[in-house]
Amino acid sequence: MSTNVIISKENLLQGLDKALADYKLAALTEKEGKVLYDYVDNSKAIKLDYQPTVLSPKKFFFPQHETILEYTSDGKSKAKIEAKPTLLFGLRPCDLNGLKILNEAFADDNGDPNYLAKLEKALVIGIDCCKICDKNAFCFKVKSHYARGGYDVMLYELDDKYLIETASDKGQAFVDKYFKTEKPKGTEKADFDKKKEASFGKEKPFDKLEQFPELFEQNKKHPIWDKEGARCLSCGSCIMVCPTCYCFDIEDNLDLNLKGGKRVRKWDACMLNCFATVAGGENFRHSATARLHHRINRKFDYLMKKHGQAVCVGCGRCVRACLADISPKTIAENINGEKK
Amino acid sequence: MREKLNLQPKNDALYLPEEARIVKAKNFTEKEKFFEVEITSGRSLGHMPGQFVQVFIPGIGEAPISISSAPAKHNRFDMCVRAVGEVTNKIHTMKEGDSLLFRGPFGHGFDDKILSRMEGKHLILIIGGLGYAPLRSLINKIVPDRAKYKKITLLYGCKTPADRLYTDEIAELYKIGANVEVLETVDRGDTNWKHNVGVITTLIPKVEFNPEETLAFIVGPPIMYKFVLKSLLEKKMPTANIFIDLERRMRCGVGKCGHCQMEGIYVCQEGPVFNYAEVEKNEEVL
Repeated sequence: MSTNVIISKENLLQGLDKALADYKLAALTEKEGKVLYDYVDNSKAIKLDYQPTVLSPKKFFFPQHETILEYTSDGKSKAKIEAKPTLLFGLRPCDLNGLKILNEAFADDNGDPNYLAKLEKALVIGIDCCKICDKNAFCFKVKSHYARGGYDVMLYELDDKYLIETASDKGQAFVDKYFKTEKPKGTEKADFDKKKEASFGKEKPFDKLEQFPELFEQNKKHPIWDKEGARCLSCGSCIMVCPTCYCFDIEDNLDLNLKGGKRVRKWDACMLNCFATVAGGENFRHSATARLHHRINRKFDYLMKKHGQAVCVGCGRCVRACLADISPKTIAENINGEKK
Repeated sequence: MREKLNLQPKNDALYLPEEARIVKAKNFTEKEKFFEVEITSGRSLGHMPGQFVQVFIPGIGEAPISISSAPAKHNRFDMCVRAVGEVTNKIHTMKEGDSLLFRGPFGHGFDDKILSRMEGKHLILIIGGLGYAPLRSLINKIVPDRAKYKKITLLYGCKTPADRLYTDEIAELYKIGANVEVLETVDRGDTNWKHNVGVITTLIPKVEFNPEETLAFIVGPPIMYKFVLKSLLEKKMPTANIFIDLERRMRCGVGKCGHCQMEGIYVCQEGPVFNYAEVEKNEEVL
């Protein structure tokens, strides 16, 4: 599945405005001087040039707070599954890879109804990157500067127009319905690739990236764990901003009139001290070092085996958020011997 | 490229609890209470020994509770609940006739493969305190079938005689004799206590067994495992002959929320029952 057509910037934005009749549109926008992914009312609010955001677009499928169950005082409960047709526009390769990983995780055995309902109703349009967004991003180290999935339509920027590539039937139908496109000359993809190569060409992935699961398995006692763990404040910021962290807690919110209530799923963080503590008081991961080891190993060992790609997508958000300057990049470079 | 996703397992009722009614409630100790519940829909729970349910108290929350009864065709199952958190303290206030909500069964317990491996073997069940609750689901399955096994040895340790659970049933086990052996210990005895005093590992030297022909099952407080494992390994028991049933924090029960993870293993999916040989290299087990 891959039909290549061209769209001008003007027609692209017009198409998005047209789609507003059928979709809620979420895109990169600016609010109170901050760049973020949020719902927009029209295409004028969309920022086409990427700047790193604090939160990843995972929040549209897996919100910070989400009611999963409602109940009344007579003991009746019903599942609450909410999904509206949503158009996610302008996601970059790191976040698309993040989305792909979350899609796989939530569609795993015991498919999660709340997440999958949102995924089914969503259409995702990516924009490929042709420059490195800032000094903290290390997508190229984990081969995540190319999206391996997570999108229905991909746009490649060329001066004042975009090359459109569709990746799903849903994406093709969307393009046919909303976008006024032109025939390509045929050289556009090569032109874009040249531009991308100019920025990313000299950047190399981690040595032995494909062997990370084995390498991390062999390096459970590497001194880098204690070195970085000793500085970790166990604040959990890295997890809140991570596009591939999906651990959650479920809490009960009783209505003020005590006649009913809801069960709310909210983001949780394995870096918090209480994360693995049972009611009896035993904490199965009681040191910051052990928790850091667990989080990083989810990215480069445990879940990497399952998803067939590094589960850290190198977006750099945790690096920007960390108060103690802890970076998965530094840890990985130490584990694989790139940095002594 | 769009990733291929299997959307088939999507289950709209994944987090939806169902109703059960308490048909029997009995205090065992100050902290532990027994409940027999009946599933309102009339379905059988359909569990394997060692699995658990998530009991839900609206307005308070959910807690993972071991299923304490053996698999059965009827629609009832047992739980023995220690009042230790908000949910379990609330459950303790409940009485016969009250309704509660639950999801499950969850996890992987003593499956048919393990049960068939047990045939003809000497089985040693090593239980600490509340560990009797989950392992009773196995005990009540194998004791009636005891002719299938070479011998069943039950080692049970508690802090004090007053902390013992299912005392009536244990009294019956003593009476069986033949190939069912029961040895008990407490950390601190009282004037009426006639059995051993000391930690659970002090019972192991009292049991005669051929490590190659014996399977051991360990359930108890987290601290207990490493000492019991050390004693068994000193007796040259192969790690493949040892099964452990673990406690972890669990929220979703369906391998998503991450709380129960030990390295890459979701205990709520692959456990809580593990063959020790399969997890001995995992540093987050003990």
